[in-house]
Amino acid sequence: MALFGFWILFSASFELIHLGLGLVFSFAVAWLNSGHSPFIPRFRLWLRIFLYFPWLFYEIIRSSLHLSKLILHPELPIDPHLISVNSKLRHHAAVVLLGNSITLTPGTITAEVERNNLIVHAIDKVSGGDVVSKHIDL
Amino acid sequence: MTTFLFFVLVLLVILIGVYLYRVLQGPTIFDRVLGLNGISTKAIILLIVMGVYFDRVDMFIDISTGYALINLVGALAVAKYLEEKGHS
Amino acid sequence: MDILAIIFMIAGLFFLIVAAIGVVRLPDVFSRSHAVSLTDSLGAFLMLIGIALHEGLDTNTLKILVVLALLYILNPVIAHATIRAALRSGLKPWKKKTS
Repeated sequence: MALFGFWILFSASFELIHLGLGLVFSFAVAWLNSGHSPFIPRFRLWLRIFLYFPWLFYEIIRSSLHLSKLILHPELPIDPHLISVNSKLRHHAAVVLLGNSITLTPGTITAEVERNNLIVHAIDKVSGGDVVSKHIDL
Repeated sequence: MTTFLFFVLVLLVILIGVYLYRVLQGPTIFDRVLGLNGISTKAIILLIVMGVYFDRVDMFIDISTGYALINLVGALAVAKYLEEKGHS
Repeated sequence: MDILAIIFMIAGLFFLIVAAIGVVRLPDVFSRSHAVSLTDSLGAFLMLIGIALHEGLDTNTLKILVVLALLYILNPVIAHATIRAALRSGLKPWKKKTS
């Protein structure tokens, strides 16, 4: 169904032939992929994800202001180092989301993922400390 | 507004030139891949701004979506290849 | 509405310029990838939000938001793949000289 919504969004026309083609193709693709989809989240997880996004956005703004201050500083006071983050997340998609949001925040980048042990490259003591202390739990 | 959009276009092209310096000059090959990634993001923004400038947003947005997807596949292929091969 | 769009786009341009300066100035691959992530996350976000405000409510605005979500999902994947390849092929991160 979600694929059908995307079809309507991209073609942006409501004639009968377009809608019929979109319906056929979206159900065909969904049927082809229905065997091996690992990501079937529960309802409570979705609710907490919606609470999680504004916090992530605030964090992105704060750390990117910090990083641009570092870049524009004339002496370039950076101190890059590798840190290791151990998370208690069990669900597979939660680890993916954690690594994705660490990389999305400027100043830290996920370099290596074991099962639930992430190696993070941080550019500064401040950015690295953020990852360790404000470590999220879904 | 049109003048401002033209200014934005010129500035984006200059920024692509800055990234191109990193691509041509980079000490390791990963610098070049990183520069190409930055150029692709700039190109997506450039396509959408160009669409607003020429009043054809509906066409240019589809082009930029396709560009983003193709860029993902290409960058992942290059990264996998370099991971197997090692830097030299 | 146009004034708001112009303010957003100028802020986005500021972050894009800072990221370009960082790509030239920073010393090694890992630090440069931080600069590229800066342009991806905040610069592209502010630019595209400015353009969406200028367009008004339309299907084009929805498509712009779809492109933005695509950028937010795909760019960390690319950065992570590049950095992991660089780390696995034996490149050491740049350290500050202790002097």
